[in-house]
Amino acid sequence: MPGGPWWRIGWRNLGRNRRRSLIAASMLAVGYFSCVALMGWADGLVAEMIGNGTGILTGQLQIHASDYLPDRSVYETIGGRDGTNVRQLVEQVAADPDVDAAAPRVYGGGLISSGSATAAAMFLGVDPDLELHVSRIMNALVSGEHPAAGANEVLVGTEIARTLGVSPGDEVVVVAPAIDGSLGNDLFVVSGVFESGLAELDRSFALLPIDALQALMVLPPSRVHEIAAFVRDPWQAPAAAARLDSLIRARGLDVAAESWTTIRPEMVEYAQLTQSFQWVLLLIVFGMAIFGVANTMLMATFERRYEFAVLKALGTTPSGIVGSVLSEALALGAIGLVGGAAVTFPIMVWWHLAPPDMSWLFGDFTMLGALIRPVLRVEYPWTMTVGAAVALFLTTVLAALYPALRSARIPPADTLAGR
Amino acid sequence: MGFVLSVSLRLIAGRSFVAWVMLTVMSLPFLPTRLHAQRTASEIVDEVDRLLRGRSSRATVQMDILTEHWTRSMGMRIWSLGTEYSLIRILSPRKDAGMATLKSGEEIWNYLPRVDRTIKLPASLMGAAWMGSHFTNDDLVKESRIIEDYDIEIGYEGRREGVEVWEFILTPKPDAAVVWGRIEEQVRQDDLMPVWVRYYDDRGDLARTMVFSEFQVMGGRLVPAHMVVEPADKPGESTTIIYRDLEFDIDLEPSYFSLRRLRDDRGSE
Repeated sequence: MPGGPWWRIGWRNLGRNRRRSLIAASMLAVGYFSCVALMGWADGLVAEMIGNGTGILTGQLQIHASDYLPDRSVYETIGGRDGTNVRQLVEQVAADPDVDAAAPRVYGGGLISSGSATAAAMFLGVDPDLELHVSRIMNALVSGEHPAAGANEVLVGTEIARTLGVSPGDEVVVVAPAIDGSLGNDLFVVSGVFESGLAELDRSFALLPIDALQALMVLPPSRVHEIAAFVRDPWQAPAAAARLDSLIRARGLDVAAESWTTIRPEMVEYAQLTQSFQWVLLLIVFGMAIFGVANTMLMATFERRYEFAVLKALGTTPSGIVGSVLSEALALGAIGLVGGAAVTFPIMVWWHLAPPDMSWLFGDFTMLGALIRPVLRVEYPWTMTVGAAVALFLTTVLAALYPALRSARIPPADTLAGR
Repeated sequence: MGFVLSVSLRLIAGRSFVAWVMLTVMSLPFLPTRLHAQRTASEIVDEVDRLLRGRSSRATVQMDILTEHWTRSMGMRIWSLGTEYSLIRILSPRKDAGMATLKSGEEIWNYLPRVDRTIKLPASLMGAAWMGSHFTNDDLVKESRIIEDYDIEIGYEGRREGVEVWEFILTPKPDAAVVWGRIEEQVRQDDLMPVWVRYYDDRGDLARTMVFSEFQVMGGRLVPAHMVVEPADKPGESTTIIYRDLEFDIDLEPSYFSLRRLRDDRGSE
């Protein structure tokens, strides 16, 4: 690397045409900002997708009987036909250091009917108190209230409520095939209506107190299909799942504890795709910047060809001249980086803490079955922050290399003679 | 056909002319078999269907359902009128007694005595199992339209296990809204009794088999008193229907098949 006098010369040369230097540095700064902001937004989108994809209903971690997935047979309860001590199991799951909350669930399919209107529905039996800490579906109430434990009450999605023409307080018939082959049926009262924003849930899901659904399906209280858990940092879920899997298996229960990364692999793939995209982004942005900087440096060195000729005539080695030009480029990069960082960091903090709401432009949308709000929330893309800085310097050095080599090869006598 | 004719002739010789006339009239349903050469495959399949159905019928049946997880036996009474109407009322076991299903045209209604409510089945559930059996709701509604929905041809005609049979291949018509990709049906030539029906899905894989047996005269007609449905994807599982009692062409009007009748099992004998 150039040292001593070449640094100073390079730095001073930037001041010879300040406007031009400023424009070149701005280009680098804008490139840096683009990379970091775009990556931050992509990371934000992934975080939002994972947060909503797992948070609305799935949970970050689920425990089933090992044969339950993918068929979701109602007979495959945790602990087989005998079931298990559900309360104890839930407590054991919740005791994991990475798990913040856990709740038992029972699933069933059937009909929900009011008057002459009938809808096919997926019944989810939940412990209303525990479920509130695991998923957000019960917080998505638009009217009424949560079903009370032990009561024949049901919380239905907006679309079901619309199809049946019911509102809180109305009576509905709930029909679900029981595990003994009979047809469980009973009267329920609509306690509330939820709107998750996910069409699939709002159209087909109905939440019942777990004990009421168990009674309907002739399942004893010891038999549940799922323990769902909330893990605050979703990326810790796979480790927690592995721990719980061996811990519960050690108790003699044939279970499979799986994190969202296994249950929803498409989300992991999307996250990985986003990560690999950052290198493409770097290549494109700085690939464009490289020509701008090269142009600036070519101009600057062409203007100074007499000076280089004089320097060479005075005995400066070609490597000294290369050093001075590269130093100038590095100084330009440093200015661009400082400028870029000065602009980028405050904006990133702002967009992270108070993301611009784009809902005036477009509404909610779903991606891989997860609800995405139209909010430009960014995550801090640490790899990109460093990667873009390295790319910025590489760009300036690469862009300056050709002008530097050209300057070093200037023939002093011919140039000074104007030939 | 020779059998029916020779019995008739012997009766003419031995008994009265009235007996001969009666027998001829009674054997009319079997007439088509004698004329099969001129009949299309469609017409034969239609005839088999009509034979088993009658204009109207009333039956007492036992349905035994065998699944991997449970077995149950249900007693039920079935009323039917043509292809449009039927009413099924469950008599046993006690827990389900009184439950009833009404089919009226394309609609299916269920009555649940426990909550004293009737519910109409949504179209999306037509493919779901009826009362946990291996029959679907769609079977109740769509079976009647086989002739309308399928192109039928004879795939085999000849001897199988010593019996002259036809094997029909039913392919859905291009615009038919049906669940099966293909249906194959074997029918005995001499008495038009179905032997088996195989249902294939869209990919051409066998989905389920229906086997008929115990052919006996019930309600004045030869009918298979046993029907077994076996789903291909669940080996070991089956639903068996055993006819205990069967009457044909009883006096029933469309108005009989009302929602009121569905709810009220009094007077539905």
